[in-house]
Amino acid sequence: MKQRALNQCMKVSGDPYGYLKEWKGNNNKKIISCFAMNIPEEIIHAAGLLPVIAWRSNESVSIGHSHVASFNCGLTRSFIDDVLKEKLNFLDGVVINRMCLQAQGIPFILEQNTKWANIIYMSLPALYGSDCIRDFFKSELDRLIIAMEKCSGNKITTGKIVNSIEIYNHNRKLLSDIYEIRRKNIGIISAREMLSIVHSSMIMPKEENNKLLLEVIEELNLKVAEGNHKSGIPVVIYGSLCQTPHPELLDLIENTGMVVVDDDIFIGSRYFVNSLDISDDPIESMANRYLSHIPPCPTKGDYKSNWSTYISDIMNKNKAKAVITLMIRYCPPHMCAYPDDQINFEKKGIPEIMLEVEHEIISLEQVRTRLQSFVETIGGI
Amino acid sequence: MLYFAGIDIGSLCTKSLILNEDDAIIGTSIKRSGAAYRGAGEDALNAALKDANLKSEDLNYIISTGYGRSRIPIADEQITEITCHARGSSFIFPEARAVIDIGGQDSKVIEINSKGRVLKFVMNDKCAAGTGRFLEVMAGSLDIDLEQMSELAKQSKKEVQISSMCTVFAESEVISLFAGGTEKAEIASGIYRAIARRVTGLASHIVSGKKVTMTGGVAKSKGMVWALSKKLKTELLVADDPQIIGALGAALIAKTKFNNL
Amino acid sequence: MSEYKLNRLETTKLIGNIVDKHWASLRHAKENGEKVAWCSGPVFAFPYAMDMKCHFMAGYSAYAGGRGAAQQLLEIAEEDGELIDACSYHKLHMGMAAAMRKNIPVRKDVILPLPDLLISGRLCPEMSHYAEGLYRKMGVRVTGVDVPPPHQKSEIKYFEKYVERQIRESLIPALEEVCGKPFNYDRLTEILIVLKETAMLRNECWEYLKLKPSPWTLWDYGVSIAPVFYLMGSPEAVPYYKKLKAELADRAAKKIAALEPEKSRVYWDGWLPWAFLGKFSRIMCKLGMVPLVGRYPWEFFPHPETIDTEGDPVASFVKQVYSNGGQAKDNMPSLNLPVIQNWVEDYKIDGLIMFSSKSCRMWNLGHNDFIAAIERQNGIPGVVIEGDMVDTRMNSFAQIETRLEALAEMIEARKE
Ligand SMILES: Nc1ncnc2c1ncn2[C@@H]1O[C@H](COP(=O)(O)OP(=O)(O)OP(=O)(O)O)[C@@H](O)[C@H]1O
Ligand code: SF4
Ligand code: SF4
Ligand SMILES: [Mg+2]
Repeated sequence: MKQRALNQCMKVSGDPYGYLKEWKGNNNKKIISCFAMNIPEEIIHAAGLLPVIAWRSNESVSIGHSHVASFNCGLTRSFIDDVLKEKLNFLDGVVINRMCLQAQGIPFILEQNTKWANIIYMSLPALYGSDCIRDFFKSELDRLIIAMEKCSGNKITTGKIVNSIEIYNHNRKLLSDIYEIRRKNIGIISAREMLSIVHSSMIMPKEENNKLLLEVIEELNLKVAEGNHKSGIPVVIYGSLCQTPHPELLDLIENTGMVVVDDDIFIGSRYFVNSLDISDDPIESMANRYLSHIPPCPTKGDYKSNWSTYISDIMNKNKAKAVITLMIRYCPPHMCAYPDDQINFEKKGIPEIMLEVEHEIISLEQVRTRLQSFVETIGGI
Repeated sequence: MLYFAGIDIGSLCTKSLILNEDDAIIGTSIKRSGAAYRGAGEDALNAALKDANLKSEDLNYIISTGYGRSRIPIADEQITEITCHARGSSFIFPEARAVIDIGGQDSKVIEINSKGRVLKFVMNDKCAAGTGRFLEVMAGSLDIDLEQMSELAKQSKKEVQISSMCTVFAESEVISLFAGGTEKAEIASGIYRAIARRVTGLASHIVSGKKVTMTGGVAKSKGMVWALSKKLKTELLVADDPQIIGALGAALIAKTKFNNL
Repeated sequence: MSEYKLNRLETTKLIGNIVDKHWASLRHAKENGEKVAWCSGPVFAFPYAMDMKCHFMAGYSAYAGGRGAAQQLLEIAEEDGELIDACSYHKLHMGMAAAMRKNIPVRKDVILPLPDLLISGRLCPEMSHYAEGLYRKMGVRVTGVDVPPPHQKSEIKYFEKYVERQIRESLIPALEEVCGKPFNYDRLTEILIVLKETAMLRNECWEYLKLKPSPWTLWDYGVSIAPVFYLMGSPEAVPYYKKLKAELADRAAKKIAALEPEKSRVYWDGWLPWAFLGKFSRIMCKLGMVPLVGRYPWEFFPHPETIDTEGDPVASFVKQVYSNGGQAKDNMPSLNLPVIQNWVEDYKIDGLIMFSSKSCRMWNLGHNDFIAAIERQNGIPGVVIEGDMVDTRMNSFAQIETRLEALAEMIEARKE
């Protein structure tokens, strides 16, 4: 079975820093890291820069400990750790949005410990609703445009932004096509593989990733023709804000009698679910997307919509039987949001289990027991 | 006669139990698991067989459970201990609708129906607080054994608070209380109450209004049962040997599986 | 027996009654036909201007912590499904709501009437969730005000305009609707006048903290915060600070120190440990250590002389939160560092205590970077201690004591 393209995704996802360093050597372009959700990458792209999504390495945190206490999320701890270990020197800057208290504290540590010229701090509105919020969002984008023009030396025109949006929309379309293939052919691709596909898009330039994804689709279509997919209880995974669950955790889910049919995780459908309207006012389109309530995000004050309702819609669409919550350990926005979601799942009679995603993997054994019991419970032993 | 075995290889202890086709328990054994899981499983099974005057060829179906469940090749099948504790509990106490299993390394709270099926469960797998291991460490820092600790706690007259949830923190708290002149008895009862608080946080929404049984090795501790039932405001049903319930459930499931073959 | 003697102030003994009266009036508001608001973030002056009785999120937490009810409320919240590592302030409120919903008996004085309007000043996501949680569980009406903390000087004015516009376009209309009357701008001005007078007096009291030895401590100021904050505009505010100032002047004249002898003077970063002020005080007294200044307690209107009581009160209030220092601004470490470095000189600080709260990530990132930067410039040592402002389970006093002792030793070593 041919899977060159898929292997390439796995390779990029397995060693993003290695990929980026090599890419930079060949392309002589500046790379800007986005921390983490909701950064309008199209603007960075329109400046001729490469936006990539902040990534936590798989190494356990060491130097970072003396800057970020253990009761902060793995992304924050690991990002700072990598910065201090000088593993991120290939970056030319970082754009951080004030989505949570962790993200608020990071710029200071970077300023104290790096020589990066571009530490851009954005304050995207944390609420929905009024014109005032919308206007503020737009003025934040104006600030980003100015900062990115300065960083790149290039003028960002409306035409360039529209062009970037088109490229990004194409990428979103390809990713959702791949999800659609999985939906129609459950088990054709593992959760681990899907993660690496989306992740490759967060790392690679979208132009190159688009080509790669087209190849992935071809490969998948061949595989569909061959038949032979994994089966199991169809489940939806959701949560895992800003960072990836360990691939081992996803394997474990799919090795205990379940199969992931869709998701709402950051390195998953949350990244591409929202396309942008193509119009001559791209900033307005971005505001529309940001303020659309989709996907629901616990870092924003959203009194009206309910994450669990959105998840149960995804479940219905996929005929899923159960949901697995992936909770990033010490992600305060999600920790606060979860109790209400849990109650709602229970009210709706949806079997749900919450797994905590630690930065350092500890005792998958216990997780295995919980997952197996969960399956025994749904299966009724 | 048909015979069925359940082997529960827990993180701290390995329990084994032999059941005959009339549901009579004819042999049991409990041993420390030790580092080498595999050996522990076989040892425990052999000890139970000896207890029952049987040989391994006499067994018709074996189910393993507990953390080491996948490491015992002679087992015909593996089932998680959550399902096994549920089934075992329901066998002994048909009226029970919730099970609190406190073992060496974690605590589990399970909601069950009248047939002993699992409806829902929660598990504390984050830290040692609220587990047998925690108790052992605390008893160690008081320089007494678990039996003595149970006895001592009864004599306590004052309530002292052990507030830390983390084993390391709690240990230093216990040591500094002791150094500060607090009686061992008071500290002991404080420790039980600390665990009870922790488990209650996990359990209360599942157990409220239900008949509850407590299983696992820690249920052997009278001090613990007392503190927990007080905190939960409900009497706890405890089997003669609560530690063996997981293995019992496994053996019962073995019988069902065998009959369905 | 400790070799150090703590001299308690007389004035601070009065605060308990004043605070109790506030919370009691809130508890009885509905019986008196008054409207009730709950508020997080700095905007409670607005419901006050509408004669609503208003709760304040952190103030309530300090109050419940001080009453010894925090642990029970946290446990009730957890039994209701809240997660252990989430923000304790959020959880205290969820616990209170669960106690009401399920009729769980708790101390009556920590149960408040549900609000007619919940105002969520959104400094952090947890603040949104406390509002959302109550919205979903109890159907309480919410209005949010996004209060972003600026990161650079250039952002201050720009954020100020954003917040001011939200207040005019969302908050004030919501208040008018709930209360069925137009917004009372005159009352807001009156509140600002009282606040100005109180905070000016308070600033004079701050000067006494610079004396060596100091006649009072940060803990004394900690318990005196309410009049310059959630009790702003109340009739007790000015008399309280007048009394306090007089007592401090008297002590200064008689050279009475808060702690005798005063061995070392420390800076305290992060939340005040509301439920454990006494415990910390005992540990620090044993070491002759006096806490004097900190960035959180200095959030509350540090430049009252700039309060404009003639012009538009809305703009004037928001200015205090942004341009002239205040809650929103002081959450950003990069803007704070120079301020703290100056304090170290002004208050003659010997060491830094960075209180890193486990359930709130507001103050705890980069604590060691603070210490390093201040040590470089001012040459004083510091320690980070981890704990929580109200949740006892997250505090290990044995460990905290060890770290504070180590700080005392480091300070000693530098003096030699
Ligand atoms: N008499 C006793 N009093 C108190 N505790 C006891 C007593 N006897 C055994 N224990 C405790 O029971 C624990 C072991 O219980 P059990 O065999 O149920 O655990 P396990 O199954 O090995 O652990 P887990 O289920 O977490 O993997 C030990 O921690 C031990 O300290
Ligand atoms: S994972 Fe959660 S805590 Fe961490 S950066 Fe993202 S939103 Fe913040
Ligand atoms: S996380 Fe911190 S800042 Fe946010 S609401 Fe809780 S205590 Fe307040
Ligand atoms: Mg066990």
